[in-house]
Amino acid sequence: MSVLRERVTVVWLGLIVATCVTTWGLSKELFSPSVAVIGIFTIAAVKVSYVMLDFMELRHAPIPVRAAFQAWPVVVAAMILGFWFATP
Amino acid sequence: MAIHAEPAISTVRNVSPFRTDYTTWKVLAWTGPVFLFAVFVLWGIVAHNMPPFPPSATPEEVKAHFHDFRLPLLIALSICVTMTAFYMSWSVAVARVMERVEGPGGLLSKLEMMGGTITCAPVMVTLAIWLTAAHEVNNLTPGIMHMLYWMGWLLFDLAYFVTSLQIAAISIVFMRDTRAKKLVPEPVIWWGWVTFASFFAVSAIPFVTTGPLAFNGVISFWIAFFTWFFWIPSLSYFIIKAVDRIKAEDEAAGRVDA
Amino acid sequence: MSTLSRPGTVTTSRAVPRRLPGVDGVWVAIGADAVIFAILFGSFMQARLHNPAVFEASRHTLNSSLGGIDTLILLTSSWSVALGIQALKRDLVDRAPRYLLGGVLTGLMFMVSKSIEYFEKFTQGIAPATNDFYMWYFTLTGIHLLHVVFGTSLLSYLWIRSRRRAYSSLQRVVPECVASYWHLVDLLWVVIFPLLYLQKAA
Repeated sequence: MSVLRERVTVVWLGLIVATCVTTWGLSKELFSPSVAVIGIFTIAAVKVSYVMLDFMELRHAPIPVRAAFQAWPVVVAAMILGFWFATP
Repeated sequence: MAIHAEPAISTVRNVSPFRTDYTTWKVLAWTGPVFLFAVFVLWGIVAHNMPPFPPSATPEEVKAHFHDFRLPLLIALSICVTMTAFYMSWSVAVARVMERVEGPGGLLSKLEMMGGTITCAPVMVTLAIWLTAAHEVNNLTPGIMHMLYWMGWLLFDLAYFVTSLQIAAISIVFMRDTRAKKLVPEPVIWWGWVTFASFFAVSAIPFVTTGPLAFNGVISFWIAFFTWFFWIPSLSYFIIKAVDRIKAEDEAAGRVDA
Repeated sequence: MSTLSRPGTVTTSRAVPRRLPGVDGVWVAIGADAVIFAILFGSFMQARLHNPAVFEASRHTLNSSLGGIDTLILLTSSWSVALGIQALKRDLVDRAPRYLLGGVLTGLMFMVSKSIEYFEKFTQGIAPATNDFYMWYFTLTGIHLLHVVFGTSLLSYLWIRSRRRAYSSLQRVVPECVASYWHLVDLLWVVIFPLLYLQKAA
């Protein structure tokens, strides 16, 4: 088993890069608050999705369970953004 | 319903010369949902506890609340004190089903029965404290009213571990059921563990009066109570069905006095 | 599974049938925990709706770089544990322990980082009761931290047992359950971090 060739390693690298982008990139003053917030939570939802599909192995889970879990990041991100835009 | 395989080790011995009273057993199992209905409708809705009157309320506000709702409180709380006994009767039915997995006189079924029975104590005493507060509202100072309100919540909430032990005993025993189709399915067992975990947050209530951990907050009230509220009827459904399944197993095995 | 649904179409049956890692029941607990946290996130946003200025001002006192590092730590932890499960699936029984240990050590790193963060807050005179934002900050990160402590304890147990070769491709139900729980702990932080630390006001 070569660690570098494992799918989970590729996914991990992507997650690390995404984290750096949101923590030290998107949060900077360069971006307007709404762009930053949409970007940050969309990326978070994508990250959660990859953790679910490839770390939790839901990619190979029964479809109903996979669908239910994959709905979570979508619903959570939509809820947070919905509240954000409703907040003065 | 199909007859399922006997447990690998036969745990049923002829311990009684009397027939098993499946009917009473089932009636007792039904008292669980009856308890929940009573608490939800009477304490929850009629007595204005969903959500509860806030912990941040001043003594004057507490007195005013009990004064304004005195009659519904007297009615709802008094009936609720009485009907809390159904949680005990339900626990006895659950314990007897557990014994069919664990063996007669098993440790965890005893723990469950004790846990369910003792749970009635803080519930009944709390409801009686609030009933007293409502009854005596015109004779008591705001300070005393505030104290009675808090005394109820501190007792009601912080005694949670008695119920936690009941839930843990149930989850452990039914997890060990060797039947091909367990008497209580895994999701309900695991929901028991979710409920068990959710109770611990309630330990925060003496220290906060606002926010999610306050006794009216999203964690200490909505999540902690509703996980338990969902667990009672879902477990009850399978306990009631279990009595029928056990009866069928007994008949198939020619056991008259199990 | 049928291989032909209609003339002209071909459905291939899966080489590996769909399954959930570990026992089915643990996914009920994982799902419930995820839903409960989603409710808490919504509750937080509702509290923020009523007090955006206080929330924004308090947010600025949080160390987002430290929070970002915490995210990197937990993602790495999940990766390590996932590698451990892959090793078990391939019966590389002697390699699994090091990956599980990686999970334990990164879990401990997260706990240390959080402790430092909390200590900093306390020395600045900030406590849960300071305002609504901090109540939520300590509650959300605190309950998450309890999950990390619990998960790290489970991983430690797995590490010890794996060194005694208790697990293999045929005996991996317990590691899979723990791993699945650990990934939940990771993904919850992936949302908690931006929610508390990065979410700037409009």
